Amino acid sequence: MSMLTEAPPEVREVPVRPRPAGSSLAAALVMISLVVGGVWSVGALGIDIATIVDSFDNAVNFFARMFPLDFPPVAETLSLVFETLAIVFLATLLSVALSVPVALAAARPTRWGVTSQWVARALTVLARAVPDLVLAIIFLRMFGLGATAGIIAMGIHSVGMIAKLYADAIEELDDGPRESVESLGGSRAQQIMAAIPQTLMPQLIATALHRFDINLRTSVLLGYVGVGGIGLAIADSLRTLDYQRGMALAVLVLLLCIGLELVSGAIRAALMRSAGQRITGGTWVDRLLNHGRESGVNDLHLTPPWSSARIRRFLSIALIVVFTVAALWRVDVSWSALAQGILDLPQTLALFFPPSAGGSMSNLFEQLLVTIQISLAATLIGAVLALPIGILAARNAVANAYVHQTFRVIIVIVRGIPELILAIIFVVISGLGEVAGTLALSIGAIGLLSKLIADSLEETDTQVQEAMRATGASEAQVFFSATLRQAAPAFVAHTMYLLDNNIRSATLLGVVGAGGIGFLLLNASRVNQFDVVTMVLILMVAVVLAVEALSMWLRKAVR
Amino acid sequence: MTTELQREIDDIYSVQLDHVTKDFGGGVLGLDDVNVGFRTGRVTVLLGLSGSGKSTLLRHINGLHSPTSGTVRVLGQDVNSVGKRGLRELRRNIGVIFQSFNLVGPMSVLENVCAGQLGSLKGPRISLMMYPKSVRREAIEKLDRVGLADRAYQRADTLSGGQQQRVAIARALMQHPTVLLADEPVASLDPVSALDVINLLRQIAEEDDLTVIASLHQVQLAIEFADRIIGLRNGQAVLDRTTQGLSAEEASTIYSSVSGMDISDAEAGAGSASTSTSDSDSVRTPMSSGVTR
Repeated sequence: MSMLTEAPPEVREVPVRPRPAGSSLAAALVMISLVVGGVWSVGALGIDIATIVDSFDNAVNFFARMFPLDFPPVAETLSLVFETLAIVFLATLLSVALSVPVALAAARPTRWGVTSQWVARALTVLARAVPDLVLAIIFLRMFGLGATAGIIAMGIHSVGMIAKLYADAIEELDDGPRESVESLGGSRAQQIMAAIPQTLMPQLIATALHRFDINLRTSVLLGYVGVGGIGLAIADSLRTLDYQRGMALAVLVLLLCIGLELVSGAIRAALMRSAGQRITGGTWVDRLLNHGRESGVNDLHLTPPWSSARIRRFLSIALIVVFTVAALWRVDVSWSALAQGILDLPQTLALFFPPSAGGSMSNLFEQLLVTIQISLAATLIGAVLALPIGILAARNAVANAYVHQTFRVIIVIVRGIPELILAIIFVVISGLGEVAGTLALSIGAIGLLSKLIADSLEETDTQVQEAMRATGASEAQVFFSATLRQAAPAFVAHTMYLLDNNIRSATLLGVVGAGGIGFLLLNASRVNQFDVVTMVLILMVAVVLAVEALSMWLRKAVR
Repeated sequence: MTTELQREIDDIYSVQLDHVTKDFGGGVLGLDDVNVGFRTGRVTVLLGLSGSGKSTLLRHINGLHSPTSGTVRVLGQDVNSVGKRGLRELRRNIGVIFQSFNLVGPMSVLENVCAGQLGSLKGPRISLMMYPKSVRREAIEKLDRVGLADRAYQRADTLSGGQQQRVAIARALMQHPTVLLADEPVASLDPVSALDVINLLRQIAEEDDLTVIASLHQVQLAIEFADRIIGLRNGQAVLDRTTQGLSAEEASTIYSSVSGMDISDAEAGAGSASTSTSDSDSVRTPMSSGVTR
């Protein structure tokens, strides 16, 4: 960053250094003010060594009260896990079903027209900007307490990410196959269905799995507003100060997250492998099932052989159907409540409008500022700590294999812990308030940012480093002038992404007591002040869009 | 022109371009007053460097591009005034072979071939079993014709380039086309596969009496393949002649005329090639009003 901030040098005779471009000067100013803002936020929130040392006693205390972990009976545990997984599964399935048409409308090769493309893109941005928590509050009001509201809330919010990724994937596809169907006289629907689904399937599934992981973490948060599953059980236990049960359930969530990450990683890897395989492979399954079958003009079946790939495809579809039925049975969606809720939509919406500050606009702004402070401070702390960790984890920055592998493992572990669990722990340790939220977010930030830093360092062009080494530069010289400089734009981009992310998360973590506008949101929904919910939502969306616009501009300005 | 006469001309020429100009905007002319007719049942090769307008010309014939001025008539219909439905019906009769094959990679070879019938089927299809059995049977026959019936259930992207292009030809045959367009059909292939594909195209053109219009940039291959060669440069037709009785010397002038380089002033270099226009070109064969042969 500093290399961009240098003032124009004193004018000497020769050579005159070119004046930095206006945009990069502005970018430097913005970055400096963000850092200053972060430092100021850390101070304003009262985060200093003393606070952290103070809370050390609390931590010891807390951990003492946490043990022994009190797991619920096996049957109850399984039932909770099943319910959570059912909610998350249905929510993800719903969002995929909603995302496919939106993505088709939003992607250039498959759009119906410019208007539909514009509408689809606007819907996607809107779905991403409105947090699932707010949607859940609205739907809980419409459909009553229970799983239905959570499923629909996560299902709709996820469209923001899934539809965008699907649309990008469609635009990146080779347009040739679609065009060939166009030139043989195929209709629009024929072009799309013949050329796109099969090619897109691996990405389609990988994206859905990724979102499944995210939704699992969110489902815990939604428990706090009344959606069922493990989240609700955690919220209930902590409300009654039953830390042994609450933390046991938190550990359960952690295990679930890790387990799912492993499963979805395995599925994604298998998908990548199978891309490019023959339909009739040479495995013993193929030979057994298709004995005596010959393909050619004498083949009278004209049906694809039961190859192992086809069996796998068939079983996957069957599995999804079974999961859907089981999940629907478990969460027991009340269709009549659903229908009634939709019929009552005008009345429900009327509760949310017009937006109101609930008496004190200044209080709202105060809390909004706290949320912004939390995210700025967390991003700064996260970035400062993630930089060394990320560098130490990069293969090409640290020659010692044990060192960078150890740090990679540390990053994986930190990333595995849901931010919500961190927030709960910190709330208990340092009491309700901003400090807890900031610390929880910082740790989450370290996990995410250090991984991104390590990755972008490893992606730098090694030939530049080779060239430097060839001139006799030391390893440190090579690292600072070749590797680090190359990764600098990526670092800025990732940090901005993190800030963007943190503003959303800071709001959501407020719900569990980590301070800021999220806490107002929860309280407003508890006392049925839905017009305040709307106002909070408007403020939040405005801030999120502003940060997103700023980070888009900054990413363009810093190259 | 009387409709009677028009009908007679339509019978003789499956494809006619009448003073077709395509302006891509910014003064970039994809086609510059091209005036040419393609006789029914003949094989014509468009020769030219990249950017000379070969693909643009082919894309006008099946309506993927529409001309800025001039008209394109295919099988007796004006491509740009038949309407959306009419264009789809017209396209059913025009098979297209692409340089990059444009098969759906993860789909089986047989399903790719079946997709050739989509123009005559109602509604989209998302798996092989959704095609009528008669279509699947015919697809196997077409695959047999290009020599790949034994690969029917293999993923298309596991085939070699030459095999994939043959599958694409089988797909085009599913349309029962009367006109076959081939846009650089062998540019992505090695010389041996290229010759295979060209021979297959030639054989099919003769057996099915197809009007073939192909773009190529190998002069030698063009001479072997085509009845007639049309040279394009900067969007203009700069050469038009039959391949019968073509001497080696004449063949060598073809390259220089399409590349804009005269052999006699070769030292002028390629630099001038892009700037010189055909008006001053001595090798250029004057075009008559589209009714050349």
